[in-house]
Amino acid sequence: MGEVELSCLAYAKMFLHASQFPRCSVNGLLLSSSPAEGAVCITDCVPLLHSHLSLAPITQLALTQVDVWCAQTQQRIVGYYQANACVSDSSPTPCALKIAEKIFEQCNNAVLLMIDGEKMFPGCRVPPIVMYERKDARWALKDKHTIMLRQWEETCSVVNQLFSSGDQALLVDFDSHLDDITKDWTNPKLNAKIMELVSPANGNV
Amino acid sequence: MSSVSELYDVTWEEMRDKLRKWREENYRNSEQIVDVGEELINEHASKLGDDIWIIYEQVMIAALDCSRDDLAWSCLQELKKQFPDSHRVKRLAGMRLEALERYEDANKLYDSILQDDPTNTAARKRKISILRAQGKSSEAIRELNEYLEHYAKAAFCLEELMMTNPHNHLYCEQYAEVKYTQGGLENLELARKYFAQALKLNNRNMRALFGLYMSASHIAASPKVSAKVKKDNVKYAAWATSQISRAYQMAGRGKKENKCSVKAVEEMLESMQITMS
Repeated sequence: MGEVELSCLAYAKMFLHASQFPRCSVNGLLLSSSPAEGAVCITDCVPLLHSHLSLAPITQLALTQVDVWCAQTQQRIVGYYQANACVSDSSPTPCALKIAEKIFEQCNNAVLLMIDGEKMFPGCRVPPIVMYERKDARWALKDKHTIMLRQWEETCSVVNQLFSSGDQALLVDFDSHLDDITKDWTNPKLNAKIMELVSPANGNV
Repeated sequence: MSSVSELYDVTWEEMRDKLRKWREENYRNSEQIVDVGEELINEHASKLGDDIWIIYEQVMIAALDCSRDDLAWSCLQELKKQFPDSHRVKRLAGMRLEALERYEDANKLYDSILQDDPTNTAARKRKISILRAQGKSSEAIRELNEYLEHYAKAAFCLEELMMTNPHNHLYCEQYAEVKYTQGGLENLELARKYFAQALKLNNRNMRALFGLYMSASHIAASPKVSAKVKKDNVKYAAWATSQISRAYQMAGRGKKENKCSVKAVEEMLESMQITMS
């Protein structure tokens, strides 16, 4: 189908989320601040859970809150990401399919993104991502050539810098927010740090 | 590289107490455990007394997480020397083999534990972990079902856990979440009761608070309930709302940074009020 662009900010936070909980399955929502027509630009993400992904109440709560926040900040939920605890298995779970379905109801070019744990080692040349889109009433693998990660080298460098400065620990997901509500799942501090690192690379988002 | 005690200006007693706190609260902050534990073991072993054995175990597991096989091996050796026939130490040896992806060898070790002691649940759980790590989920499920053969559902397990751990608010809250997920009016009412119980045990459990709010709201909004039930649940939901608002206001005090999440919660609570009335 159409093209999907993934920003450095969104990629970095997803990667950090998966790295922060290496023994757990993690998930989150993909957001866009771009208009609904044309290519899907994933400009940001919200990390959600790292435990009991398939239990309803907290997932519902998180979806509702993110929805509200998006309305307040002119963003839309355009997709869902998940990284499975079992590194060798990056196939979407029933829970992932369900949530992606829900998102598709509101956004007809929604994407489902699975993180491929096996490709998350330093120095890996390819992005550790498998993307699915809605085709003929099921979720089908997206053609790799329609997935754009602008300035992949710079993105990797930004992620590495976050780890060396220790800033990867700044990431807050919704689960952590519930454990301590003074922590903000919109991650303003981390976002600012990432944008600082990105700006030398020609203002690319 | 400076030592932990120098960097953070802590005494060995404080380091030991920190390790204990992490043990008791089940934190898996492995890098920190390795940093603190390794220094404690290398510099202060003689002062730790009998605590040292459980520290060896804790540090060993953390070392496996951080790919520090050297450290894991030395901890394991000390434990083997002190407890030569222990099943618990054997299980640790198995975990090390798992970390090295020597699954066949690990399985042999666990099987030998189970031969001696067929009720050893720790060994059984490790065997299931191996199946999961190998991507053999259907086999893992089969083994898990055998292991849980007296328990038909997750809810049943949690019921058992709650009976034996009546003060544990986490089991209560998880049970409520399972009931909520199962859905239907009866389950929602049970969910609400258990969220309330979890709150009684720990009034700062935010998941329980939100859970109470959501289950009460859904019950109140259901066309199948009597006017009295609806009225009661509206009250419960309203109470939960005020508690949530208060908690977020206290959290947001003076902190510009979490204005976003606070605002999102406020709006969410408002919007759900409308659907209920």
